[in-house]
Amino acid sequence: MATSSRSLADDIRGRSDAELIDLVLARPDLARPAPADLTSLAARAGTRASVQRAVEALDRGHLQVLEAVVVAGDAAERSTLLHLLGTDDAATVDAIVQDLWQSALLWRGADGDHVVRTVPEVLGTAVAGLGAPMRELRPSSLPEHADPDHIRAAVAEAPDDSRAMLERMTWGPAFGVLPTATPGRTTARWLLEHHLLVPVSTDRVALPREVGLVLRQGRLHRSAELTAPDIEARPVSLVDAAAGGAASECLTHLDELAATWGAEPPRVLRAGGLSVRDLRVTQMALDLDPEHTAFVVELAYAAGLVADDGEVVPVWAPTSEIDEWSSSEAGHRWSTLAVAWLGSTRAPHLVGRRSTGTGPANALGPDVQWPAIRAIRREVLRELASLEPGHAADHTSLRERLAWRRPNRSAAVLDEAVEAVLRESEWLGVTGRGALSEAGRALVAPLLPPPAPPVRGGGASKAGVANTSNGRRPARGRGDRANGSAADITSNGQTSAEPGAVAEAVAAAMSAHLPSPVDHILVQADLTAVAPGPLVGGLGSFMRLAADVESRGGATVYRFTPESVRRALDAGWTAADFTETVRRSSRTPVPQPLEYLVADVARKHGQTRIGGAAAYIRSDDEAVLDTMLASRDLTPLRLRRLAPTVLVSSADPRVLVELLRDNGFAPVHEGQDGAVVHAETPRRRAGARRRGPGPMVSPVDRPYTQSLVDGLRAAEATADQRRVEDETRPGPRIQAMDPVVTLSLLRDAVADRHGVWIGYSDGHGATSRHLIHPQKVEGGRVRATDESGHEKSFSVHRITGATLES
Amino acid sequence: MNDGPLIVQSDKTLLLEVDHPNAEAARRAIAPFAELERAPEHVHTYRITPLGLWNARAAGHDAEQVVDALITHSRYAVPNALLVDVADTMDRYGRLTLTKEGLADSPEGTRLVLRTTDRPVLEEVLRHKKIKPLTGERLDDLAVVVHPSERGTLKQELLKVGWPAEDLAGYVDGEAHPIDLDQADWHLRPYQQHAVDGFWHGGSGVVVLPCGAGKTLVGAGAMAAAKATTLILVTNTVSARQWKDELIKRTTLTEEEIGEYSGARKEIRPVTIATYQVLTTKRKGAYAHLDLLDARDWGLIVYDEVHLLPAPIFRMTADLQARRRLGLTATLVREDGREADVFSLIGPKRFDAPWKDIEAQGYIAPADCVEVRVTLPEGQRLAYAVSEPEDRYRLASCSDAKLPVVETLAEQHAGEPTLVIGQYLDQLHEVAERLGAEVITGETTVKERQRLYDAFRTGEITTLVVSKVANFSIDLPEASVAIQISGTFGSRQEEAQRLGRVLRPKGDGRTAHFYTIVSRDTVDADFAAHRQRFLAEQGYAYRIVDADDL
Repeated sequence: MATSSRSLADDIRGRSDAELIDLVLARPDLARPAPADLTSLAARAGTRASVQRAVEALDRGHLQVLEAVVVAGDAAERSTLLHLLGTDDAATVDAIVQDLWQSALLWRGADGDHVVRTVPEVLGTAVAGLGAPMRELRPSSLPEHADPDHIRAAVAEAPDDSRAMLERMTWGPAFGVLPTATPGRTTARWLLEHHLLVPVSTDRVALPREVGLVLRQGRLHRSAELTAPDIEARPVSLVDAAAGGAASECLTHLDELAATWGAEPPRVLRAGGLSVRDLRVTQMALDLDPEHTAFVVELAYAAGLVADDGEVVPVWAPTSEIDEWSSSEAGHRWSTLAVAWLGSTRAPHLVGRRSTGTGPANALGPDVQWPAIRAIRREVLRELASLEPGHAADHTSLRERLAWRRPNRSAAVLDEAVEAVLRESEWLGVTGRGALSEAGRALVAPLLPPPAPPVRGGGASKAGVANTSNGRRPARGRGDRANGSAADITSNGQTSAEPGAVAEAVAAAMSAHLPSPVDHILVQADLTAVAPGPLVGGLGSFMRLAADVESRGGATVYRFTPESVRRALDAGWTAADFTETVRRSSRTPVPQPLEYLVADVARKHGQTRIGGAAAYIRSDDEAVLDTMLASRDLTPLRLRRLAPTVLVSSADPRVLVELLRDNGFAPVHEGQDGAVVHAETPRRRAGARRRGPGPMVSPVDRPYTQSLVDGLRAAEATADQRRVEDETRPGPRIQAMDPVVTLSLLRDAVADRHGVWIGYSDGHGATSRHLIHPQKVEGGRVRATDESGHEKSFSVHRITGATLES
Repeated sequence: MNDGPLIVQSDKTLLLEVDHPNAEAARRAIAPFAELERAPEHVHTYRITPLGLWNARAAGHDAEQVVDALITHSRYAVPNALLVDVADTMDRYGRLTLTKEGLADSPEGTRLVLRTTDRPVLEEVLRHKKIKPLTGERLDDLAVVVHPSERGTLKQELLKVGWPAEDLAGYVDGEAHPIDLDQADWHLRPYQQHAVDGFWHGGSGVVVLPCGAGKTLVGAGAMAAAKATTLILVTNTVSARQWKDELIKRTTLTEEEIGEYSGARKEIRPVTIATYQVLTTKRKGAYAHLDLLDARDWGLIVYDEVHLLPAPIFRMTADLQARRRLGLTATLVREDGREADVFSLIGPKRFDAPWKDIEAQGYIAPADCVEVRVTLPEGQRLAYAVSEPEDRYRLASCSDAKLPVVETLAEQHAGEPTLVIGQYLDQLHEVAERLGAEVITGETTVKERQRLYDAFRTGEITTLVVSKVANFSIDLPEASVAIQISGTFGSRQEEAQRLGRVLRPKGDGRTAHFYTIVSRDTVDADFAAHRQRFLAEQGYAYRIVDADDL
């Protein structure tokens, strides 16, 4: 390959298998789809998208070092880095640089470390809040204007107000709008005249990078934060008991949700999700606050226990899985929920928040989908797992740690999400009193790396510089995710533990702390029943049906009311069974008022009955009705006697009249008011049919055939011509290439000011060859000068392949 | 997981399993801060409320004790959020204190000062529109002067915003007057003595005792402790007379020392008993008898039946914060929900004993509660079905189907002192006629009432038919059967009072009977269910029987 200049590719080609594995593990997006060879791996590692991902995954320490490397420039001395960072902790910096190299955000040449070219693009012009370098802002500037000593001298001379203006811009943003008032103008003019500010437009000025650095005393950041801030932890007791209690309550909530929705499933909104009203109804039924309710609902959804039933009028209903789930052992039920929660990309805390202009987000709706929450959830739990068992994290310091890990995230959004995760883990029982429970640890275990120090030791600084590039400018970007500490495996970085085994371990860990189910209740004269713990399955469903829940927690207080008793009778219980079940389950004698209540409700239950019939027959002559009932020909009418003089049928009245007439009776039709309706000859009419134009088919006629043949001829001719041209045209043959490789080659050419042959397909699909000198690759277009020296723009997606001018 | 008797629910209720061996210890541990809400036979429900927690703080308990009590006795893990909430709530009490401070320039003068240990709290409360005007000069970052006349209102408002102030400003001694208990032939019962002590050490506050447990004697005990002129506020004239009789009998006070200030008489003496009604009478838009409150330098003010205290009395009480106040009641539940005013103006709860405990000690009679259901005759059912909703209750509860039942019951308990209690006069007269008994209603003169009560007391007559005027503060020591034929719409308070009528200790230890007659399938039964729930929650098992089965 033509290559002395493309050193990331060389660097990567020179890496050992282990290093390559580390790289791909650190940046899993490189592996999908599988690259064809190391060159395309390198090319992909240098793409903007991939670098962006990698940079976003950096913690603040790694980001600071990366920024320092970018600002220091290629092959900078280590001391320069240390100075920029304002630290003397060379070992840590070396380790971080090694991490950045490992994840291919840096590559190593013979002369030192180079940053992958896409990285500065991704970081943007304002690296660490600094402005662009003087030469970029104003190419015509004199070199001395960028000289630190010169700048220092100028700053020292600056009048007070000018210096104050500089100080305001020191830590960014390094841009400002020119004041309109005179005193401000004068102040700014002085700075402009002394080249401490550079005008970028008629009313805007920029603080050049060199000036910024001088003002920052050569430091890049206010303070070096290379290592993770400590989490303050305090020991708490009874963690597992508290978690067990919460877990048990959580299971109860799910059971109640299933019972409530099983009986009356709420509608699915047209936009998906659960209406605010239905959520409120559910909230009342569960007796929780709105946020907790949203959590329970989303948890059930994440665990696949409720779903949109997909009917014509869709409703949210418990799924068939719920039956198996309900009947399994409590520990397993919990583990199903916990595993689902951990992997869920839904963020219940967003329910009720205003989403983008469309009103509040609905539970189970699309606005609650927020993939980032999964990573945040895992990170929070990982941090909690890093504490000693039985220690709860101080929320502020935990948030600081997470903000350090993800400096690119908005602090407010992150803080809110972290609080939500902590709250949810408490509700679920993953934590108890703020500390990770035993079961929580089992859940998180697969996310943790095999034991390793948080930051790799400093020794490896300049290793792995095998096969460095031969002195040309660094190659096309590759490289990205330098995700610092080893504890930070990628968001989906499960280690290899079997999912089944994990669920099993989680279930076992939680089982030990769940309150053991009880099989009895205590019934009292005020018509309440207390279940002093979670009830065993059958009794639990009976009580939910037969009584209203009044208070929840470790125990459940049920109240028998006339309505609840009626509900049970409606569901097919008889008064005797009801009383007997209560008596059998109660440790205390069943109070007389309860028996009386059941008997009283049963007495009235079914006193009146309601059914459907399509027609009735009435006759004062009971004998006639007797005949009808006995007649075999009338059996299809399914006549039923309601009273001595009344029969009903499910057949339509008209059919009834007709059939009875056929059988020798002489019925007349009765109207709504009971009066006889005299039959006219019925004349039914259907509504008029609308007729639209029929489908039009154009015939295969002569003109049509002609144009078809013309088209085929033209295509053939073009192909021939292309074949001829291809052979006669100057330049090399260009093979179709992976666009990523093409792009990387074009970027190299831009950097090295090299000519490139490209294959370019025009709007008709014809491919032509051009020798161009690319100048810029951006926005899916290549700007280049062609052979005749004209500037042209080429769409990247039309470039079939490229090769460097030999 | 230990095997404690207590289950702490997430809704801040505590379930106490009564039959558990450690139940008593647990009850003692939680009683200071949790309100007993229901006490049916097996599992008692307590509730943790901010007022309860502040009551506990006022009594010298701290959050640690509360949390410890919960964790020690709880069977399951106590929800962490609840513990945090308990600590937070209790922490709010005492951040603000009301103290009396001497003035540097005049050794005689004092002023009332609101002090805090936590500046932001003071800033927060001073920002409230209603609180700012009650305060005066700002002394420093942590203290502000309070107008002495606003002591009560300030406490009320502070409680409303959730920062209850601890009142350490003390009390005036009032005009001394020798009062002693005359315990020649009787003694204060132990719980009464505890109640008196609890009140006296707390300074001001409320004593909660069931009807029939001798609240009057607690009042007398408090007066003997104060040995100062006393103003006693009671619900009505009959009650005033009974207080007077009782005080003459139980203390060294003589008839000349006790004055009655009511519609009929306006006497102001060292011990004056006034009715709420006379105090709240307005003439030309102003309270005509407000002067009474300042007529003497009262050393103690006793409020009988605090749960009935009318709103104007609260307002007057706000101005009496420098005097010791004793509230007496059978229940802190106010149907108007003004418990917080009782807390801030009269004082925190100082003593509380559940009915059942006192019953178990033999001081009040055990009761057998029975609901008798009558079936309305068909004609009345139809009339009921088509009647206007507002007439239904009257129709149902005045059904003449109830009359034979009353007769049957009266026969069954012939010879025992029996009260028939009702709401509607027509019905009462009808019943009285059937039973051949006397009726006491609002129209009956005080003199006539006294005569009938005396006759009833001596056993001269065994049956009395009474309207709701008899609900409060009458003392019928030997009534052992009460038959309720109609009542106000399911009032729990009323039920408590009526049950109280039959709960006075019986000379021979007989069981008291409490019957309620209701019409089946009507609102009457619904209201009855409401009232019964209250009874069951008080621990009285009740039965339901059909009228035909009597």
